[in-house]
Amino acid sequence: MKKLFKILFLPLISISLFALVYYQNLSPKLGLDLQGGISVILTADEGTDQELIEQAVEIMRTRIEAFGDVQEPEIAISGENSVLVQLPGVTDQERAIEALGTTGLLTFRPVLDSSMSTGYSPALELIVDPDDPENVSTAIKEGVTGVDEVIGISLEDNPEFESYILSVNSGYPVVYQLGPAELTGNDISDAIAVFPENEWIVSLEFKDESANLFTELTKKLANENGEKRKLAIVLDGEVVSAPGIAFDVDPTVGITGGTAAISMGNADGGESANNLAIILRYGALPVSFERSSIQKVSATLGENTLNLGLQAGLIGLIIVSLYLILYYRILGFVAILGLTSFGLLFYSVITLLGEYQGFTLTLSGIAGIIVSIGLAADSYIVTFEKFKDEIKIGRSFQFAADKAATDAWKTILTADFVSLSAATLLYVLAIGPIRGFALALGVATVFDLFFTRLYTRNTVPFVSNLTSSSRGFFPIKMKDLLND
Amino acid sequence: MIKKLFIGSTDIDFLKVGKLFYRIFIIEALIFIAVFIFSLTGILNVNLSVDFTGGTTYQFEANYDDTDIDEVMASSILDVSRYQTFENSNSLIFRATENTQDKETEFLFYLSNKFDIPDADIDFQRVGPTFGDEITTKGIQALIIFLSLVVLLISYRYEFKYSLIALIALTHDLLLVFSIYVLLGLEITPSTVIALLTILGYSLYDTVILFDKLNDSIKSSKYSYLTDGSLNKTFNEVLMRSLNTSITSAIPIASILFLGNYLGLSGTLSDFALPLFIGILSGTYSSIFVTVPFLAKIINK
Repeated sequence: MKKLFKILFLPLISISLFALVYYQNLSPKLGLDLQGGISVILTADEGTDQELIEQAVEIMRTRIEAFGDVQEPEIAISGENSVLVQLPGVTDQERAIEALGTTGLLTFRPVLDSSMSTGYSPALELIVDPDDPENVSTAIKEGVTGVDEVIGISLEDNPEFESYILSVNSGYPVVYQLGPAELTGNDISDAIAVFPENEWIVSLEFKDESANLFTELTKKLANENGEKRKLAIVLDGEVVSAPGIAFDVDPTVGITGGTAAISMGNADGGESANNLAIILRYGALPVSFERSSIQKVSATLGENTLNLGLQAGLIGLIIVSLYLILYYRILGFVAILGLTSFGLLFYSVITLLGEYQGFTLTLSGIAGIIVSIGLAADSYIVTFEKFKDEIKIGRSFQFAADKAATDAWKTILTADFVSLSAATLLYVLAIGPIRGFALALGVATVFDLFFTRLYTRNTVPFVSNLTSSSRGFFPIKMKDLLND
Repeated sequence: MIKKLFIGSTDIDFLKVGKLFYRIFIIEALIFIAVFIFSLTGILNVNLSVDFTGGTTYQFEANYDDTDIDEVMASSILDVSRYQTFENSNSLIFRATENTQDKETEFLFYLSNKFDIPDADIDFQRVGPTFGDEITTKGIQALIIFLSLVVLLISYRYEFKYSLIALIALTHDLLLVFSIYVLLGLEITPSTVIALLTILGYSLYDTVILFDKLNDSIKSSKYSYLTDGSLNKTFNEVLMRSLNTSITSAIPIASILFLGNYLGLSGTLSDFALPLFIGILSGTYSSIFVTVPFLAKIINK
């Protein structure tokens, strides 16, 4: 009885765990590649401060929540300077990228000049033909570099230098000449759209340490008139808005208290005010990211792949089982019971990990599982072959089984140790898809060790008593086995 | 013969056979080195996926004929470098080199128009070259650390010389898969790199089990070191296990390959399966026929 319990210990645990999972209607949490959706990997420059990346991830989270309509988005830091964003169920790429928001930098830059007065970029000089005043041509002003010859906007925007930027935000094109950035999105602590009376206002609050900078900046601007009185809010090289400093601001005092209000009018029922507030609040990430990979998987492809993986796994398992029965007879059944329990346990653990740890089963995870079937089957083969070798040199079935089980354990321990270190190494070093594979392989190896030690080791000696004919274990006569 | 193979009482003289396989190994090694050098110098074209080169892929199902494909290939929106069709399905894959986001989106709409399918049904993937680079760098890092660990482990458990032989067998498997990929012009994806790392594990697992057996044979012989006798005994006995193991490991992977091919599904799973399949066969071969000649050399000294 005690023996039987020992043998059935792991299979029973596996089956009850599976039953638990099954009756609670749990199923593995599927990765994006198996259920469809969009996955984006964003990469920051190498050596970017980890803290800044964490901040950026936080901002992206809030932003996606504000965007709504995305089921279970996952945003996680992967590797040293990458962020993995997974939006399952989202198939509209444009929307997904929108959800992530522009990853660029939000800056506040003083307006130096604009095309409002002349209709031409401030970078261009108008040359009026003296003979024909109607004939006006343009040329780049002296000392201005890095701008387009025809429309006069900067080819590349560097917030640290003066640049000429086109904006179509007000409904018609305006080219602004902007000074270097004085403040960034990092300096903002909060922004909110309000409707106090008659018009919408974006109320802006700066962080304590930045409030002075803003006061100084507004002091300077309040001295100016016309376009130069404006402060441009630039997101990712685009002028989002360029509000002017109100005329009642005293140039010797500036705007104090670290707060500011941007008047937005009343034309669109607050939509633009809300958008601006969202951009100010979440618009700028403290670091700029490059989209190093965008992957879109349609729901059908995901489903097809999942089915392929499951079918392949099942067919593989059936053929391996048939092979083991043909070859190892009773021992084959031992292996099949073991492999089936192994499979059930694996399934349950992955499901539970998904439920409580957020582990998602991806395609590469399935590949890892399929690979591990081979690995687990091999442990049985090693044991059975050792058993055969012992019988061959004339040992009794009982003794041979004991010795084989003990010896095989040592061999498998060494071999699994190699596999486990490979899996651990892959997991620690790897990014993205490799991780799922490594984790599945690692978990499988650990399970294999448990099964070899607790199940195979007890079961092989037990079944060796069932018959005294070698035909029960091998497709060969005892005589031939011993005659060697 | 089968009966003998089963009992493990085949009396193959592995020392003799080893000489033949040593020659085969030398020829293989020369080919591998040639392929490796040729691909480094660019004489042989290594077919790297967009993950390494940067670019976009578009995958969808639609009714098409050859002229459609020609037209898409000649499209001026993006530089379409390759396409892929499948025998058993209507899937189409186009790959284009890196371009601006706008152009890539334009091409998406172009395809959706041309093949009369909603653009949401097109699987789109955009990858910067950094992603593939990162995987390769990490792969090489993993490789170096892993190999050092292996040398330490095998030296500790068995003998230093054994660890060198294991390394030779490993390198053989990796280079074999790599050479087949280069010579057949198969596409190398990040999954291929991962599969190569897995092959390492497999091949080593096989070799370790063999060394373990060899150790047992030495212990049970009257000598305390490796002799012709124990070498032959071990390898004759281990043949069947090696065969069985590679059969059981290869079956699930073969079923991914064949099922995937039959259903006309290409993708990460098949990208995994092919190199794994080749690798397992190669691992079984190398754990016996590459190690034997080198083990024989240890005896001779």
